[in-house]
Amino acid sequence: MNALPIDPALAWESLPAMLRGLMTTVVVTVIVLALGLMLCVPVTLARMSRNPLLAWPAAVFVVFFRGAPLLILLYLVYYGFGQIEVLRDGPLWFIFGSAFACAVIGLTLNHVAFMVDVVRGSLEAVPAGLTEASAALGIPPRDTFRQIQLPLAMRYGLKAYQNEVVMFTKGTAVISVVTVIDLTAVANEVFELTYDPFTPMLTAGALYWCLVNLIRLGFRKLEAYLSRHHIAVEKQRQPASAGFTALAARWKLALSQKEQVL
Amino acid sequence: MNISTADFWGYVGQMLDGAVVTIQLFMSGFTLALVFGVAIGIITLSRNIVIQAVWRVYASIIMGVPSLLIIFLLYYGGSAMLRGLFGNNLYVDVTPFGAGLAALTIVYAAYVAELVHGAVRNLPRGQFEACAALAIRPVSAWRHVIMPQLARLALPGLVNIWLIVLKDTPLVSLAGLNDLVANAKIAAGATKEPFVFFIAASLFFVVASALTMPLSNWLERRFARGLQRVKA
Amino acid sequence: MTSLATEAPMASPVAEPLRPIAVEMTGVDKWYGTFQALKGIDLTVRKGEKIVICGPSGSGKSTLIRCINRLEPHDKGTITVNGIELDGSPGRTQDVRLECGMVFQQFNLFPHLTILENCMLAPRLGRGVAKEQAEAIARRYLERVRIGEQAMKYPSQLSGGQQQRVAIARALCMEPRIMLFDEPTSALDPEMIKEVLQVMEDLAAEGMTMICVTHEMGFARRVANRCVFMDKGEIVEEATAEDFFGNPDSDRLKQFLAQILH
Repeated sequence: MNALPIDPALAWESLPAMLRGLMTTVVVTVIVLALGLMLCVPVTLARMSRNPLLAWPAAVFVVFFRGAPLLILLYLVYYGFGQIEVLRDGPLWFIFGSAFACAVIGLTLNHVAFMVDVVRGSLEAVPAGLTEASAALGIPPRDTFRQIQLPLAMRYGLKAYQNEVVMFTKGTAVISVVTVIDLTAVANEVFELTYDPFTPMLTAGALYWCLVNLIRLGFRKLEAYLSRHHIAVEKQRQPASAGFTALAARWKLALSQKEQVL
Repeated sequence: MNISTADFWGYVGQMLDGAVVTIQLFMSGFTLALVFGVAIGIITLSRNIVIQAVWRVYASIIMGVPSLLIIFLLYYGGSAMLRGLFGNNLYVDVTPFGAGLAALTIVYAAYVAELVHGAVRNLPRGQFEACAALAIRPVSAWRHVIMPQLARLALPGLVNIWLIVLKDTPLVSLAGLNDLVANAKIAAGATKEPFVFFIAASLFFVVASALTMPLSNWLERRFARGLQRVKA
Repeated sequence: MTSLATEAPMASPVAEPLRPIAVEMTGVDKWYGTFQALKGIDLTVRKGEKIVICGPSGSGKSTLIRCINRLEPHDKGTITVNGIELDGSPGRTQDVRLECGMVFQQFNLFPHLTILENCMLAPRLGRGVAKEQAEAIARRYLERVRIGEQAMKYPSQLSGGQQQRVAIARALCMEPRIMLFDEPTSALDPEMIKEVLQVMEDLAAEGMTMICVTHEMGFARRVANRCVFMDKGEIVEEATAEDFFGNPDSDRLKQFLAQILH
């Protein structure tokens, strides 16, 4: 397609600014992911609590901040904080008044709401049989949770967490609406200066692509590390002739189990 | 509240007009993504190297780049791209709605196609083998045996995509579409009442998401015909 | 006992040498990557014969039976079914599959269709039979496997033994000349094995040509004209049921029988 004129000179010229934008995107992402990991634990516990005074507010929090689009949450935080006099006249206004903090707060609210479901889903994915087996062995509930449920839930939840992190990282592209100069904001600025519709967007797109795939790569490494026991089994199966019987048997077993689920 | 009631209802009316635009964009975007996604998903089950290569590149770009960037790219560069495809004498003004619709379709068709692949992988191989053993031709097998089961297997993922498209739709307001969120922003700025209008806009999406659940449960019950286990 | 006759009645279920050949395999090899699943298989099955194939898991017995209706393509040698040679052309494969009914270990009923619809699907799509006629055929065979009253239920509402009987009826609805059974009772609870074997014995008594992969030695003794023992992809021994159990030749078969019959 000759209609996609990419201007290498412009791409090169704008690269330093783009990289600074990318840096902002990465910093925001890392801060919010860290906050998300910390905050999702108490909110999930509240959400799963049997006490309705804890469970209900947590459920409302999750439904609202999951359901509302990130864009509106950012507007709400950015324009809303200025309307709250206690905040505006308080000593912490230098934080709440800054665009960067507003972006972090808006993103965190959204991310934590999603994380609650990730954590809850992975805890519930641990087969009841394993906790029962642990209880039957006389292991106290506290240790069952720490030694059996949590490590297994981490493995089950990793894929969901990866999806959320990737989705979230791409979602940060909207923070430019509260005047944070992230990668998308830089690309937009370059467009407005040059009216070249392709070069800035494609350069930014390539940088986002690298970032997202770096994250995916990291998760793959982590997954390989966490599921060492599966890999060990895989290797035992390798030797051809004797292994094939076992492999075939496992296959049949796996298939029969799958069909029972269906 | 420091605005007159008449002004307030004026803004509410504007937001409702915006909501109609949002719903139109969302519904048409999801429908097109579903149609193209299922077609792409089935075509890319082919082992043909060219098809696989094109699919991999497309999927990788879509999964690695924010949808906002794709909306901008199509809005800013849309008419140049169309000129490149159909000749220089063509001049089309790409509207925000058109760019947004194209972007939502291109992005979410990839996710739907990925979902179709996953559903096919999760279908027991025995289903395909039984069709072969019963001398049912591939086209009939797909129509009568495979597709009905794929619909059920893909439904939870489809509901997920539905919710994500719903929450991506307001991004098109950043390309200048006069939708619900754009009008909420105008109203909030003019009245200095950001909480009222932004929370109202949020609730629109929260309620729309919440309404999805009964709808998907109903669909799931329909698709699960014959699949519920009867306790002996 | 109701009659299951699908072709000309036969004087005796025992095969005579001059009966026409139903299935002929000569020098069949099959590879999975570097693993050879079948090594030079020669097997002739005449019309009306009942063959039981057994052997340890991974010995290639399922692969052999799946080659007969080309669920697995073979790599070398020839397979001829009722005079049609399987050469890989879709037309001939289709013709052979119309001649053969197959029953799987995992039933493979279509979960989204009722029992009746399961049985009607193949005659309608494979043979182009009209709806009313297909329903009549389906009901007739469902009666014969003694499950007619369940016609409107879905597979998941039936027990394993009932599902397998439906699978047999579904295969019979194609009015095949040859029935292939791939471990039809291996996925069943012990109390359900009998009902399925009874249906198979009825079928045998009607003169159907049958090739069964099974470890049900009682069934083999009562029904089989010939038993075939496979190990490591080869046919090790082939004998009448009497000699097979009473007077095994090879050490491998002796060892296998000792394991299975003790």
